Amino acid sequence: MNDEEILNKLREVFKEKIIESSIPRKNIVNIVVPKEFYKEVIKFIVENFNIPHIQTITGIDMGNEIQIIAHLGRSITINVRTYIDKNNPQIDTITDIIPGASFYEREVYDLLGVNFIGHPNLKRVILPENWPKGVYPLRKEYKPEHPKPLRGV
Amino acid sequence: MSSFTIPIGPQHPALPEPILLKLEVEGEYVVGVDVDISYMHRGIEKAMEYRNYIQNIYLAERICGICNVAHTVCYTLNVEKLYDKEIPPRAQYLRVIIEELNRIHSHLLWLGVAGHEIGFETLFMYVWRDRERVMDLIETITGNRVNTAYTTIGGVRRDITSDIEYKIRKTMDIVEERTKYYKSVAAAEPTIIARTKDIGILKTIDAINLCAVGPLLRASNVKNDVRADAPYAAHDEVPFNVITYPYCDVFSRILVRVDEIFECINMIRYCLDHLPKGPIRIKLPLKPPKGEAVTRVEAPRGELLHYVLSDGSEKPYRYKVRTPTLANIPSLCRMLTSSGDYIVKIADVPIAYASIDPCLCCTGRVQIVDIEKNKKWIWSWEELKEYSKKEFKKS
Repeated sequence: MNDEEILNKLREVFKEKIIESSIPRKNIVNIVVPKEFYKEVIKFIVENFNIPHIQTITGIDMGNEIQIIAHLGRSITINVRTYIDKNNPQIDTITDIIPGASFYEREVYDLLGVNFIGHPNLKRVILPENWPKGVYPLRKEYKPEHPKPLRGV
Repeated sequence: MSSFTIPIGPQHPALPEPILLKLEVEGEYVVGVDVDISYMHRGIEKAMEYRNYIQNIYLAERICGICNVAHTVCYTLNVEKLYDKEIPPRAQYLRVIIEELNRIHSHLLWLGVAGHEIGFETLFMYVWRDRERVMDLIETITGNRVNTAYTTIGGVRRDITSDIEYKIRKTMDIVEERTKYYKSVAAAEPTIIARTKDIGILKTIDAINLCAVGPLLRASNVKNDVRADAPYAAHDEVPFNVITYPYCDVFSRILVRVDEIFECINMIRYCLDHLPKGPIRIKLPLKPPKGEAVTRVEAPRGELLHYVLSDGSEKPYRYKVRTPTLANIPSLCRMLTSSGDYIVKIADVPIAYASIDPCLCCTGRVQIVDIEKNKKWIWSWEELKEYSKKEFKKS
């Protein structure tokens, strides 16, 4: 299946559940869905297009909300995008559909504080053990300290 | 039988990079594993948001010292997508040449390390000597051995002359001949076969479901390569074969990597033969337009992904990197867990771990905790390796 066929099929099945969709470049399909349908859409893509591969999950702090992008596919990249509230960042896990997504979800949980509901082992993975709780380095309000010079104290 | 936990790392295993493997063992058999990779977080994604696009080239290549070219190529291709400008074909070909040279050196390095892990030191010495020829070649082309910053936004920094072209061809002939010899050693030497055959099994179905990438996936008999599936740079014009082997074990991974070296050599020769004329670089403004881009390249360890979101300023709003080792960690956990008639012994952990070609950053000690007796003692990596060799001799 090529990129256009995939997009048409998705539009046909999910209709108004897809807020926005486009093909910005060859072999890249972008779709935006509300967070309620995020898991359903990914399940459909995995089962119907025979794409059991997730490239990664990107989390972006957009100010008032956090954008989650799941990059799926081997030859064609399908970016399934959704927005979640920054004050209550929660979204369904997709680990039960794609087991390989486990570490990517833990990474987003660690660096942006997004809670993946239903994840079997949602633990810290990237940051060190003594990192303070509730501080998420990839959120925009976190400003890294400049390292102080060792000499001249 | 009651189980207890053996932590391996963080200051050590296989390669000098910090990872903590908490092995749950029943007697000699590993029945579960928990991985902690938190020792190398340097905050590069955050640091990139504070630097401009040119400065980030140098930061991107420092993500990994061994596959630095894969990172710069991925970074520059990714940022160039924001500008939507045509890059000179000569630059794209030169990128392929330097990328494949990088892959040859990385695979040779891994082959040496694999020999070292199984106690085959001669192979380690031989292979690393020949890897040095490739490193010298990289230095001739780029001016530096490791962090080369050869590719830049809009093209590459240096052109190759006919003198350098001659050197590349000559070195490729020597490396090809030596690699043929290593292949005959790897495929026939009883020590290698005994230590790698049926060790670290990752079945095809597991490799697909756990989203494995790169040589690990190809050694589990899945024909997958970003260079073939979604070509970038000049890869759509340079022919090559995707190497797969069906044995799904460490032996299979050795063969895949060795065969890939031959493919790399042929690709470099093809690029030299068909090198287009013209400029090697176009100038692009410092501030790219608003937009976003995702790029994947085939790094020596597998699929590497870079994502950029630009807000029109001279610094990226968000930059995301997913390295191949992170993608292969779920597969590593599966490989190190006994299930059914598939048994993993503690002595097989180092080579199984090394077989994914991990790139985190590790050195020195293994702490063994006996929960029942509440005793602790520390093993150095050398002691663990000796123990592994002793266990192997027994069987």
